[in-house]
Amino acid sequence: MTSKKISVGVVPLGDIPEFDLQVIVDHIIGCFKLVAQILPRFEPPGNALDERRLQYNAGIIIETMEAMQFSNYDKVIGVLDKDLFIPIFTHVFGEARQGGKCGLVSLYRLAKNPDGSIPPESSINERAAKVALHELGHLLDLLHCERKKCLMHFSGGIDEVDEMSLDLCEYCTVYLQDKLR
Amino acid sequence: MDRKMSVMIVDDEAIVRESLFHWFKKYGHLVETASSGFEALEKLETYPYQLLFVDIKMPGMDGIELLEKIKSDFPDTIVIIITAYGSIESAVKAMRIGASDYLLKPFKPDQLSLVMERISVQEKLMSQYNYLKGHLDKITRFENIIGQSPAMEKVFSLIPEVAQSDASILLVGETGTGKELVAKAIHAESRRSHLPFIAINCGAMPESLLESELFGHQKGVFTGATRARKGFLEVVSGGTLFLDEIGEISPKMQINLLRVLEEKKITSIGSREPVEVDFRLISATRRDLKREVTEGIFREDFFYRINVIMIEIPPLRKRKEDIPLLVEHFLKKYCQETTKYVDHVTRDAMDLLRRYDWPGNVRELENAIERAVVLSKSRTLGVEDLSFIRPPDLKFSKTLSLREMERVYIQQILEENNWNVTQSANVLKINRVTLHKMMKRYRLERP
Repeated sequence: MTSKKISVGVVPLGDIPEFDLQVIVDHIIGCFKLVAQILPRFEPPGNALDERRLQYNAGIIIETMEAMQFSNYDKVIGVLDKDLFIPIFTHVFGEARQGGKCGLVSLYRLAKNPDGSIPPESSINERAAKVALHELGHLLDLLHCERKKCLMHFSGGIDEVDEMSLDLCEYCTVYLQDKLR
Repeated sequence: MDRKMSVMIVDDEAIVRESLFHWFKKYGHLVETASSGFEALEKLETYPYQLLFVDIKMPGMDGIELLEKIKSDFPDTIVIIITAYGSIESAVKAMRIGASDYLLKPFKPDQLSLVMERISVQEKLMSQYNYLKGHLDKITRFENIIGQSPAMEKVFSLIPEVAQSDASILLVGETGTGKELVAKAIHAESRRSHLPFIAINCGAMPESLLESELFGHQKGVFTGATRARKGFLEVVSGGTLFLDEIGEISPKMQINLLRVLEEKKITSIGSREPVEVDFRLISATRRDLKREVTEGIFREDFFYRINVIMIEIPPLRKRKEDIPLLVEHFLKKYCQETTKYVDHVTRDAMDLLRRYDWPGNVRELENAIERAVVLSKSRTLGVEDLSFIRPPDLKFSKTLSLREMERVYIQQILEENNWNVTQSANVLKINRVTLHKMMKRYRLERP
């Protein structure tokens, strides 16, 4: 798909199972044809915890990550099992700024179905891969897409994450190729 | 939400501005932020942002005050209010003032997504509406009313003036002068232009049918009424009703319509339930209704109801200077329709068209040009192509002297040209000075 080999680091923020991280790395390599690698873990910054909401502020974590040296990597995806938010929203599954260097995926809300039941491990991993690829898409300057099946479609709920595919639509595919050329 | 919009986030909290800024960036929208109402208004002066997210609680100018200013100065701007739980009452107030929606902070990401979907659909419909309205304006507005004579200029200047009010209008003019076109132009210029324009020729149908058409009827009230039917007075709903040949309606119908105009309610035939109606009435007549009022033929109270504003449409013989323009317009129209190429009229043919009195007015002229274009074998219309037009009978008898005949003929040409000396001199093929001398000699003066 690409002509420019962008390297992506996948960094655990806290105690994240190796298998979960490897699934994300494999999907980045398989779906976006980029170079990807698991990086050493670090703890989420303490000031990111909002004690009133008992959630982690995604903006603060991303700013902390961007201040860190990931000099061998063009883009970095942080993975954590805490509940994430950005101030205006109740929660987010992941966060990345358009064209930025670092993005985040939270496994916290992916481990539950909309009806409250617990999904199989494979579903959680697939959801995490989708959110990671979606946020990486933003880091690569892809916009939200109106096509519901496209990986870049905005997902407000778990059912929408399940509904979207692991693939980009034909328009976003062309757009990504242009970005990586 | 494929349409990219221009969005401004107005909030005194930097963290909120930043969150929403990055969220909208992910959709490719043009995003701007403002930390106060004053800054937002300044930025609106320089760029027409389509959508504003406004926090209610802000120091200085609060969100409600800002919303009021936006709705008064930039009414097309869509405003979404963002508010905390404690200020629901303010949110309701904001909706009354004109906010399109409100979101309670913090909101679920898909709530914002849904609001944006709705706004996007609304914007799309609005732009389609504006395009179609513009297109409709272009095809209905003055396009078919042609003229540059002082008499028509007066009509043109009246149209936008009277269009702004809801007062009843009476158009007075001979048949074929274009009364319906003027009515349509008034409708197109009015605030009702996006609503129906319904034209009814009162002279073309018997009283019972006209009553049923206007007021509607219930099922089974007369033979053939197999189902209930709404009348045009109800169907026109907010638009303009054009009643042509109003002078032809019966005294009974005059009373019925008078009641509708006074009460703004109608009761369909066979019903007892009155229905409220809202329409602007434009009537037209070729009769002298004022004289008929004095003669007791037409109801005086009804006359004054329908005649709040009167516009007289001049007959073509009183604005003969418009004939060349009209001829050119109809030539273009019928060349397009018939795919024939006729773009010239000889001087003699134009003289003939100008000398003729056109009792059927513009409609008769249009029919004449259509017929001539259809039958023409060259791109130039000559007198031979207009042989079906009978030149005016001269008003002199065989007992007149040559001098008297000259006087009568000059007077007739002057009358036909609305006493325009230059035009009359052209028709007579003499110069203006000579014509002035002859007018002096024969004591011919504009009445």
